[in-house]
Amino acid sequence: MAQTTLQPPPEASSARVLPSRAGRPRRRRNWFVYGLIAPAVTFMVLVHLIPTAGGVVLSFKRLNTFTFARLFDAPWAGLENYRGILFDTANPLHSGFFGAVQNTAVYTFWVVLGTLAGGLAIALLLNRPMRGQRLVRTLMLAPWIVPSFVVAVLWQFMWQSDVGIINKVLVDYTHILSDRPIWLLGGNSMWAIVIPSVWRGLPFAMIFFLAGLQAMPPELHEAAAIDGAGPLRRFRYITLPLLRPLIAVQLLFGVIYATYQFAIPYIMLGSNPGPDADLMMTLIVRQSFSNNLFGFGAAASVLLTLAMCVWVAFWYRAFKRDLEVT
Amino acid sequence: MPKRLAIVTSAIALMLAPAAIVACGDDSGDSAAKPKSNGQAAQGETLEKGVTLTLWTMPNSPQPKEDLQKMVAPFTAKTGVNADVQEVGWDVQFDRIRNAAVAGEGPDITQAGTTQVPFFAALGGFTDLSDRVEEIGGKGAYAEGIWNTTQVQGQDGTWAIPWFTEARSLYYRKDVLEKAGVDPATAFKDLDSFKATLQAIKDKVPDIKPFGAPGKKAYDLVHQVMPFVWDHGGAELNADATKSTINAPEAQQGVEFMADLITDGLFDKSQLERDGTQVENQFKGGRLAVWIGGPWVLGSVDRPEDDTWSDEARENVGVAPMPTGPSGKAYTFVGGSDLMVFKSSKHPAEAWALVKFLSEDQTQVDYAKLLGMFPARLDPQQQVGDSSENHKAFFEAIQTGRTYASIPQWGQIENAYKTRFGNILDSAAGVGSDYNAATVKSQLDAAAKEADGLLAQSAG
Repeated sequence: MAQTTLQPPPEASSARVLPSRAGRPRRRRNWFVYGLIAPAVTFMVLVHLIPTAGGVVLSFKRLNTFTFARLFDAPWAGLENYRGILFDTANPLHSGFFGAVQNTAVYTFWVVLGTLAGGLAIALLLNRPMRGQRLVRTLMLAPWIVPSFVVAVLWQFMWQSDVGIINKVLVDYTHILSDRPIWLLGGNSMWAIVIPSVWRGLPFAMIFFLAGLQAMPPELHEAAAIDGAGPLRRFRYITLPLLRPLIAVQLLFGVIYATYQFAIPYIMLGSNPGPDADLMMTLIVRQSFSNNLFGFGAAASVLLTLAMCVWVAFWYRAFKRDLEVT
Repeated sequence: MPKRLAIVTSAIALMLAPAAIVACGDDSGDSAAKPKSNGQAAQGETLEKGVTLTLWTMPNSPQPKEDLQKMVAPFTAKTGVNADVQEVGWDVQFDRIRNAAVAGEGPDITQAGTTQVPFFAALGGFTDLSDRVEEIGGKGAYAEGIWNTTQVQGQDGTWAIPWFTEARSLYYRKDVLEKAGVDPATAFKDLDSFKATLQAIKDKVPDIKPFGAPGKKAYDLVHQVMPFVWDHGGAELNADATKSTINAPEAQQGVEFMADLITDGLFDKSQLERDGTQVENQFKGGRLAVWIGGPWVLGSVDRPEDDTWSDEARENVGVAPMPTGPSGKAYTFVGGSDLMVFKSSKHPAEAWALVKFLSEDQTQVDYAKLLGMFPARLDPQQQVGDSSENHKAFFEAIQTGRTYASIPQWGQIENAYKTRFGNILDSAAGVGSDYNAATVKSQLDAAAKEADGLLAQSAG
């Protein structure tokens, strides 16, 4: 009995042994994990964090034609670049910046809306059993494998007002329009870049939604149909809510991708697409690399990054519940 | 514990090492950008045999690298100095030359556009060739406008040597003029006859567009518009290059002259969607009767492999000097390329010897012919000018040609002007704001304001 009482309680004994046995392997495991992610972290620090920090520093510098050679030694400008962009109406770059902000918002809105709505519509069509479904799916994916550069060059020729195929169809073949519109200049140039961007983005959205639709349990639709719900009601109350996480992800990446779009407007419309279609990226690249206004370009880039951070925060609040569900 | 600390320290060191390398790179770049002894040797110095010079060239001819490599072969045979020709595309050359000049790591010699020279010179990475230029005849061996492209206004120093030259002239179709009943000798004499000729083509030859020029997508839009501004007595900047004069009434008249061609239906507005090369191909393909272009197009007439030419266009090419304006002079833009020697070159004497070789009269004639350009030097220029009637028109254009203020900010100011000229032409084409004098004035005011801001930039 006495012997028994001298024995340490089994819980205490195991409590003392466990950390010493399991703790060491866990630490070892941790180091193994750190070792595995170290190359990725190093790479991110090198190619992402250090250049980003460099860019932020340059946004506070007076970096222009005469100071470019000094780079990080260029004179300190404080908030001058930001003030010039945001508040100094006498600065010609001020109106250019806000014009580009507005154009980027319009471009992003239409591209994301067009891509998501179009992608969902095509996915719904392709989700129905039909002959040649596989062939149609493959053909629908074609624009996605065409590089942006090629997309822009192709559409640039298609939009040409005198010999382009679009005006040939609209004016010569179908007589929908009587005059040949100029697509690559003026107000139309926004549509000239929105439509190819949607065309290129559609397949990815379509395949994404199609995967979601096919993973949906058919019983839900069958049960709703038995209860008398029509196709529209089933779409509104079953399909759409179940696709919400997928829509959320598409929305996040779609907005970021469209806001940072450069290749399509640059190749189709040149380094200066004009007041109707100058986007943030074309503005930043032109002012930084053609006009040597690196301080301005860096400040505009920082503002654009901050705007994207706000967007991500807003997105996270709006879709937090959906992320937890997934 | 010390072991763990060591691992963490090593990991941090590993992550920061490349940053340190970057920082070292910056230091070395900075020191290279600072003036150092230019290493120029006196005339008659001996050249080190077996060294290899690197020469950056842009796509000037059908096979840029091979053509130039062949051109410098006699230099290597004579001196024992090798030349490694490297091709750099026009789309990236500005960035690459700028970065090489700042980093102090680049080739020995580079080609540079004439209007780029003052900016590159301002970076501090190029050799001042002032002490050398007399060896190749100095200023007197070149037309004044061309020599000015080697200088920076208001500063001492010769930062480049002119290599080859171009000037813009009017290309026209002889057969179309004949059908329109216009005498080529007087067709483009002055701005009035120029307009009347385009009107006659519009009225009598309906299957071809009278005239076309590229819009804001073209790198050289400003070269197309400025001759009309100069014709009317306007200028891009004031005499000491401290203020923009692009919104002066004379300049506005010049810009309006070109824009009015669109509203008069003489200028095919669909060409504004295209860049310079695409519009060039429209003329070569027989879809434009009159077009403003450089001598390289004349050089391509005799190349059967250039299939952008239609037969009719190829057989009927005519060239005329730009029309005379109200100022009484016929202005045109004169440009081309210069050669610059990097300060970081480890073989400055050999690099200069190669520049000298490329400036010899025969080399100039041979290379210019290959390119369809003109030699930069007066004597060989005359030789090429005498070769045909069309070449003569270009030779005359070069002698009266004009270039822009040679200041480091010119490239940026040109971009600002390009944007506004493009907007004005767009509005004349009916796709921008309403076209009227007030619109033109407000665009030119904005261009002047932007230019003045760029002129106010300083190193402080």
